[in-house]
Parts: sequence; structure tokens; C-alpha cells
Amino acid sequence: MIIAERKSMNEILDMLDGVKKLLVLGCRGCVAVCSAGGDKEVEIMASAIRLGKKLAGEPIKIEATTYIRQCDPEYIEPLKKEGKKYDAVLSMACGVGVNFIADLCPGVKVLPGVNTTFYGANLSSGEWKEMCAGCGSCVLHLTGGLCPVARCAKRLSNGPCGGSQGGRCEIHPDTPCVWHFIHERLQEQGEADRLKEIMPIRDWSPAGDAGPRRRVREDLLP
Amino acid sequence: MARKKSKKRASAGIVGFCCNYTVSVEPEMLKERGLVPEDVAFKRLPCTGRLEVPAILDAFTEGAEAVFVAGCQIDECHNLSGSKRAAKRVQYARKILEELGLQPERLEMVFVPRGESEPIVEAARELKMRLSTMEGRS
Repeated sequence: MIIAERKSMNEILDMLDGVKKLLVLGCRGCVAVCSAGGDKEVEIMASAIRLGKKLAGEPIKIEATTYIRQCDPEYIEPLKKEGKKYDAVLSMACGVGVNFIADLCPGVKVLPGVNTTFYGANLSSGEWKEMCAGCGSCVLHLTGGLCPVARCAKRLSNGPCGGSQGGRCEIHPDTPCVWHFIHERLQEQGEADRLKEIMPIRDWSPAGDAGPRRRVREDLLP
Repeated sequence: MARKKSKKRASAGIVGFCCNYTVSVEPEMLKERGLVPEDVAFKRLPCTGRLEVPAILDAFTEGAEAVFVAGCQIDECHNLSGSKRAAKRVQYARKILEELGLQPERLEMVFVPRGESEPIVEAARELKMRLSTMEGRS
């Protein structure tokens, strides 16, 4: 899922300077699962803004709601009209939601309530770890299912580097070296010979360096 | 952008969220006996595990100068983990208070043995004393 984290209240209150009527808008997608922008976090944000504005002596009227998703047009549709009733809409969705609202709802001032950080997995309650970089050219079939793009600090295609010591990364010693794991995994699977092959220089063009990526499936188009 | 400095907060006393099992006597009796300051308002909950962060923040918005949450002792919660959950929410609410420029010391979690009122009385008095030392700080 997409992982996000709440922006600091200082940053939030700065961007709400002059806002007197606000909609805090949550999303029940990824950000709800990672406890950054679902119903619960929307209520906390609304209460925190009320208190911050009161301390600053600035009146504000806040309403709060949560959409099923902010990355599908059918769920955003009501905001095209409703959003204009507010000075600003503070979206607690990932950056996709904020962008989508900005694209589809002209006349609505949308602001980000969270920082969108990475694609990750839930290790335990309150802990998430990056597992995918969305690079557009998956090599997991060659690496025992472990991603060297997302999980190697140097994004090496042929690792480990000389700095890997005792199975730990030299950049972040508290992080396991993913290439160490890849070697172990492929040996377990009887595919150690695969490591003798040099992976070619990576094609980064699907990774988004040439502007926003787009995918079209003709069979699903209306 | 630098925001305006906080105005002086209206004094509305202390709010104490107490679970049903930690306030065994009527809070008003504590006041009548002069054990807790007059401006302490008690809010009784079935369990502090039910207390959410917005309720704590809203207490400050409604004018509270300080808030305490009194739950069962950590290993003796009537609902097993209620006071543990409350303590984590108090910790998060303190972080938000700090980001908003309020001293996190204005919010405290206390763990109270079942049926004892003394720790609550102490918490109320301690917060009252803290507030007097904070005057003029924000």
C-alpha cells in the first residue's frame, strides 16, 4: 500500500493561514490502512486545527468527512460542487488524491495534510517498511522475490557491494543487506547459479524519469 | 510563515478523564472536602481505552488549562489493555500539543489502583502546581 504520514501541525497551520471555512477530507484507501488519513485521523486533524486556530485567536469553521477513495473520479464527483463551499479542502489522502482533486475540481483549493512517503508493507502495528519502488521494470523473478531497487541503498542490480558486512548495509547498519538475503534465498531455492549472471544495465525509462507515467488498457476503456 | 503568538488562554481549570474503576467516590465529594481544586472537572468514562485523541484536544479547545487521564494500573485494567491504549493516545496528544506550541506537561496520564482516590487528588494538585509555574510561558 501507499504509506503516508501526517504533516506537522506547524506546517498545516501555516498553509491554512487566512482559511476560515475548511473541509478536512479523509480517504478510506491506503492512508486509512496505514493510519495516516482515514476517519480516525481526520477527526484528530480537525480537533488539532481547531485548537491551533483557537490558540492563534483565528476563528475557523471545520467540517470533516471521508471518501471511499480519492483516486477514482466517481468518489470525488460530489466535491466538484461541495468543495466550493470551503476556503480550502485539506486532503488526508496520498498525493494522488490531492492531484486528482486539483485536476477534477476547478475552483476548489486543495491542500495536502500528509506527506506521501513510499510503497510499503505493515511489519507490525505502527511499523511500515518500503518494499517496492514502483520502478516499472520488475526483476523480482531474478532475485528471489526481494527487491534490490527498493531495498538496497545503492539500488544495485548486481550486489552486494563491498560495504555489506555481516549481512548489514553499510549505509544504514541497522538495515539488513537485501543482496545478502537475495544470495541466501537463491541458494535455498537451488538457484545460486543465477548469481553468476551479470544483470544488464538497468533501463530506468519506465521509472518515471520522463514525466508522468500512464497506462491504458483498451479492453477496459468505456 | 510565522503565525501570531498565542493569546493568553482563558482559565477554565483542569479536566480529568477518569475510568469508572478509578473514581470510586463521587468527584464532587473530593471538592467538598477540599481535596481537589474547585476548578477541576471530572469526566467519567466506562474505560480510558475508550478515550480518543480528539476528546483530549477538544478539552483544551473548550478552555481547559490542563488535562489528566486516570486509568487502571497498567497490568490491572478491568478491560485488560484499556489504560495501556489510553497511555499511548495521551503520548500522541502530547506530541500534537507540542507541535501547536502548548507545553506537553499540561497533559498527564496517571495509573490508579482500583478504589483509591489519592492518586487522582495528587494528579489534580500536581497539575495545578505545574500551571502556576507555567504562567507567562505561553
